Amino acid sequence: MNYTPTAHRTTSGPRGWDGKSLREMLLDAERLVKETGHCFGLERIAMKEEEPIRFEKIFSRLRGSLVNARETALNISASPIVKELGELCFALYGPEGDSITLSTGILVHVHTMSEAIKHMIRTNYEENPGINDGDIFINNDPHIGNVHTADVQTFVPIFWEGELIGWAGCVTHVMDIGSSTPGSNAVGPTTRYEDGLTLPCVKCGADDRLFRDHVYRCERAVRTPMYWSLDEKTRLAGCHMIRESVRSLIREEGIGTYKQFIRDVLEDSRRSFIERLRQLLIPGVYEAPAFMDSQFAAETRLPDESRKDTMMHAPMRLTIDPKGRLGVDFEGAGKWGLHSFNCTPSAMAGALWVLLTQTVMPNDKVNDGAHYATDIHCPRGSWVNPDVSTTAHGNAWYYLVPSFGGVIRSLSRAFYARGYVEEVLSGYGHDGNILQGGGIDHHGNESAVSNFEMSCVGGGAGIVKDGLDHAAVVWNPEGDMGDIEAWEMVEPLLYIGRGVKMDSGGVGRRRGGAGYECMRMLWNTETYELQFVGDGAVFSQPGIFGGYPPGSGYRLAVKNNDLLDVFEQRKPYPTGDKYSDGKGVTDLVKGNVILDKRAVDLPQSYREHDLYLSVMRGGPGLGDPLRRTVDSIETDLLSGVMSPAIAERAYGVVFATAQDKQEIDREKTEARRREMREARAAKAVPARAWVAKERESRVVPKRFAEPVTDMYRSSMTVSPQWARHFRTFWKLDDSFHF
Amino acid sequence: MAVSVSNDAPVRTPRILAIDAGGTMTDTIIIDRNGDFVIGKAQTTPDDESIAIANSAEDAFDYWNLSLQKGMKSLVAGVYSGTAMLNRLLERRGQKVGVIVTRGMEDYFRLERGVQTHLGLSYADRLHVVTHRHNVPLVPRERIHGVGGRVDMFGTECIPLYEDDARRAVEALLDEGVDAICVNFIFSYRNPGHERAVKRIADEVMAARGHQVPVLLSVDICPTRLDFPRLNTVVIEAYAAEPSRRQLYRVREKFHSLGASFEPRIMAGHGGTISMEAGQLSKTLVSGPIGGVVGAKYLANRIGIDNVVCSDIGGTSFDLALITGGEYSLKGDPSIDHFKLNLSLLEIDSVGAGTGSFVRVNPLSRRIEIGPDSAGSRIGVCYPDNGTETVSITDCNIVLGTLNPDYFLGGELKIERALAVDAVRTQVAEPLGLSVEKAASGVIELFEESLRQAVLTKVLGRGFEPVNYSLFSYGGGGPVHVGGYTSGLSFRDVMVPAWAAGFSAFGCACADYEYRFERQMDLGIPPESSPTEREVLGRSINEAWDRLRSEVFGEFAKNGIAETDVRIKPYVRLQYMGQLNDIEVLSPVARIGSAGDFDRIIDAFEETYDRVYARSARSPELGYFVTRVVMTGSVDCEKPALPNHDLEGATPAASAEKGTRPVYWRDRWIEARIYQMEELRSGNVVEGLAVIESPATTFVVPPRRAARLDEYRIFHLSASGSAKA
Repeated sequence: MNYTPTAHRTTSGPRGWDGKSLREMLLDAERLVKETGHCFGLERIAMKEEEPIRFEKIFSRLRGSLVNARETALNISASPIVKELGELCFALYGPEGDSITLSTGILVHVHTMSEAIKHMIRTNYEENPGINDGDIFINNDPHIGNVHTADVQTFVPIFWEGELIGWAGCVTHVMDIGSSTPGSNAVGPTTRYEDGLTLPCVKCGADDRLFRDHVYRCERAVRTPMYWSLDEKTRLAGCHMIRESVRSLIREEGIGTYKQFIRDVLEDSRRSFIERLRQLLIPGVYEAPAFMDSQFAAETRLPDESRKDTMMHAPMRLTIDPKGRLGVDFEGAGKWGLHSFNCTPSAMAGALWVLLTQTVMPNDKVNDGAHYATDIHCPRGSWVNPDVSTTAHGNAWYYLVPSFGGVIRSLSRAFYARGYVEEVLSGYGHDGNILQGGGIDHHGNESAVSNFEMSCVGGGAGIVKDGLDHAAVVWNPEGDMGDIEAWEMVEPLLYIGRGVKMDSGGVGRRRGGAGYECMRMLWNTETYELQFVGDGAVFSQPGIFGGYPPGSGYRLAVKNNDLLDVFEQRKPYPTGDKYSDGKGVTDLVKGNVILDKRAVDLPQSYREHDLYLSVMRGGPGLGDPLRRTVDSIETDLLSGVMSPAIAERAYGVVFATAQDKQEIDREKTEARRREMREARAAKAVPARAWVAKERESRVVPKRFAEPVTDMYRSSMTVSPQWARHFRTFWKLDDSFHF
Repeated sequence: MAVSVSNDAPVRTPRILAIDAGGTMTDTIIIDRNGDFVIGKAQTTPDDESIAIANSAEDAFDYWNLSLQKGMKSLVAGVYSGTAMLNRLLERRGQKVGVIVTRGMEDYFRLERGVQTHLGLSYADRLHVVTHRHNVPLVPRERIHGVGGRVDMFGTECIPLYEDDARRAVEALLDEGVDAICVNFIFSYRNPGHERAVKRIADEVMAARGHQVPVLLSVDICPTRLDFPRLNTVVIEAYAAEPSRRQLYRVREKFHSLGASFEPRIMAGHGGTISMEAGQLSKTLVSGPIGGVVGAKYLANRIGIDNVVCSDIGGTSFDLALITGGEYSLKGDPSIDHFKLNLSLLEIDSVGAGTGSFVRVNPLSRRIEIGPDSAGSRIGVCYPDNGTETVSITDCNIVLGTLNPDYFLGGELKIERALAVDAVRTQVAEPLGLSVEKAASGVIELFEESLRQAVLTKVLGRGFEPVNYSLFSYGGGGPVHVGGYTSGLSFRDVMVPAWAAGFSAFGCACADYEYRFERQMDLGIPPESSPTEREVLGRSINEAWDRLRSEVFGEFAKNGIAETDVRIKPYVRLQYMGQLNDIEVLSPVARIGSAGDFDRIIDAFEETYDRVYARSARSPELGYFVTRVVMTGSVDCEKPALPNHDLEGATPAASAEKGTRPVYWRDRWIEARIYQMEELRSGNVVEGLAVIESPATTFVVPPRRAARLDEYRIFHLSASGSAKA
């Protein structure tokens, strides 16, 4: 890119428009939106009204340059996470840090980057360290604006004649961030001092060049310096491309037009978003909680206070008011913890954004205007908004992803009520397993790996079709799992199987999308640390309208095994775990078997030839399974998505012969389904009666598993409001507490 | 429809035949000794393409008063391009194929790559996950068999081949009655031992059963990295390409029975033509949009320009390609429809915006949306009874007067302007509070702005500025909008060939007879490598080039072409160590004799890298990695002559003038001069605002610009006053 230094090169001072500081501009903007309800107090969108064509031309031009920056720059990266799976995103921001337009990719960060820019403005970076043309900033601090430290952001300010007129931002998900455990979704850190390299909006370059000391520091801090370096170059080159596009636009359209455009477009998106909500959704209050397990009681390597089994609690109340304003409230979320799954409000707001772009506003005209039409409440002191700055966030995604399951179910109910049945989704698959670890790899180098095949889990079922099988994930709708030959270039593990995971999708009239599984064998490394990261004891996605949750995960590994003999004698070797019971593996290979529901653990050592099964989860189901057509079930059985056992148990299928469970007896199936319905009716009680019974038998005597008791105790302690809600629902007196 | 470059009528001597066999219509273009041509048309006959091709050729010859036999005898070359193979794939009408893969990977076609569920979708649909869908598998799960064994990325055997598995798989597939067996093992390009062993076993089994079917190995078809695109490519070869080969043989027989003596060649995705006998016919899967780029390269070469932007507007898309330094670039991992493939395809970017693109105003945001869907061959609301009610780009052009409703396709189609005016008023103008003309003009501005952006992005993306390039515009819609989408971009020259509408077919006739072979190498060059290390590496590359060269010679030998007649070009694909995306460079040396020779290749790589990704992204400290080596070989073949006319005066003859009509330009009605393209003479200059009409295209010369027709009958669009005869 051609870069022409401008005359403006002082080290500090106001950088805003008309002699104002950026801070003044930001405070003005915030005051105006508060006072008037409109971005920048714009009652009318003058440019769009007067020159709709020009408005549109400028927009399409800016968006084009962002998409192009992403498509070009990702080729610089060496990381399959970035290059193959597209884990990067570019956005253009106004001077105050509101996004104007964005590329495709991990959209969650369009908003987290906005918070990082606003942090620099609020804390007066203009004065110290100074914001100048040609400067480069880097951030990955979740407490400032991020999800976890492995998502690294680069910012380049854009100047025009001495005024800062915008920011180009890019984020990539790096392979390793130097946490206490290897990989990019560190499970193991219990405080932020173990979260790895933290760069809290650091000025890392000037005159378009990175500072050498910054480069050295980062290369020494991460386990994968080569990948780090190329990812950083990817981000920087893309930001420079965007800056050049903006400058060239201004040369053609004039700075006045550009300034007006970036104001108008924000207010325009805010209004469109509200209009869209009013059109698509029935107003109301929707409640849908979510849960997730973490089992560390047996983990001797953790500090005492972290060594326990716990449950994440994400009560979620979604409000759509009749004027089209959307609110999401996590009041009742439990206390933050000494684990790496804590989230910040920035992460929560980013996650809401990414969910909305896939559901109610999937179009090319999104930006932070939508943020001004939504409210998100993250109660202080909870895991969604820790009241200390020492919390660990290494794998914030582990709680973040499940916690938004209730949002999508609530939106689906609102879509359904309006009649937009094609938009209904029962939820999404949990993004696991992540095969993660580090050690000396097959090239003889120190390495860390974070396999991103979990970008392709099963999708939620719809009203009109089954969930999408193994092809997307909630934080990246453009899912991909990459080629085997690409992953084996970076991981010292062979694939000896990669296939559809039977019974992984949730049962229902429409079944959840299937997941898949990969059987990996360690190869060409003496010893390598690996861990499992995924749900195990609980499911986070319960299904909708009578549909069932997807199968929850488990871990399976066979260490110190006899595979060499198996190969030598040309005996069959395991390529997967067909029935999820380990038998398909242990019948063929002898060794030390790990098979349990502790599907998130800390890294442990593996040796060459050890087996590791990575299971990508399925999606939740929709509707009564007894209403699934026999034709669909036959297809599922033939394609290996469903086992005969589930067909019998959940769908009421009767096979023609008991031995050869292939052909379905349609008449007997219909009869069996009638029986099952009658049995259900016989067992059914009014909801009020069921609640009363549960109250007596479970709630009043506090008869819960310890992690559940602990979870409720935590929620009631953090939030007196939620405690009241709980007591009112169960008709308990004010003294009731866990 | 007879399309002639000019209305001169010399004695016709047909030399070259180019066929564009589409799903509905088969077009043939016949070019004579002087570069003039006619286009013949006939209904496609899918069961036997040779019938439609002969009918279409007969139609064309008829315009020149030649019989089919007489015309055929006179031809010296023929090139086929068509969509039959692609359609066979898309409609799942291929052969019954059996597949053998590494054990444990039998679900390849069910899993696909996730990316195949959203490839080619619009921006909005890529975000909108409920629109994503899996492909119907090319081969059902029950005809995919796994065989035990593994090789790693270094080519080391980690699990021995389970030969009994292989034998059982072959037996089972033969029992199923498959037409062909494809074999694709992980990292077979690094060590083909297991694939070759399966072939040997299959041969034994088939010999014992007395029944032969072709066995295709991935290492023979495309020995390059990435197992899933490679599997797609091998299976498509058996599934769709082999049936096409049989069809092509019939075409050849037909030609020969009509007295033709030439060997028809097929347009391939890499931009060359190959023989029907070629080992890998799937290289010809995509041939349609290639032609224009090949034609542009040929023209550029003849008139002495190096850098060209090729832009082609059809009914549904805007296709863009670059020729830089006289060469176009190729993509090694293209996506075709919903498939990721491992074959080299000329790099063409397609923007979903064409003359048929629908125009809508979003009722919620009141913002204009163009496309991505299109009226395509239904043109727009202005074409009555076509089943569309939504405004298209063509409707807007009809409203503005840039297109002539009475001369659409030379008057073959009846267009009603009033319908377009009504539709633009109610659907676009009223919701935006604009006049009908202003709305239509705004839509066209927006449309042309998006094309202009695409052009600019493409040039900047290669690290250049427009001033480094000349732009070619062709396709039916190109010349209508070229003034708009080049506005304000300082291209060296903007050119519109007078035969813009038939340019793609013309381009096919310009293609070299050329084979291209590649081999994955994966050779690392550490940052501080010694001269000896680089020499050793050079030797490996030389050896690979030698192998590829004999493959090239082998293909030509099938058609009796001697090695001495083949021109050879060696290429290397490189990246920085660790990266996943490589860049192809033409090797400045034919053989690597010293470390210095190797450094010259590195220099060529660095130079390209700087341009594409900005200097700050340079990373020589990581070392380099040679991913693939490539060899192309081409031989001389008959190419179309360029028309060469004497230059006449700047003022067009009276016979070229068709009067004037009002055209709305940006904010007002202007009385535009109308010309008949065929009547314009070389040397004539047409000042804007003017509309130059021909039956198949319309060329709009904007105000303050002028178009000069040169001796080759190519228009040059430039600022008014600079277009001197």
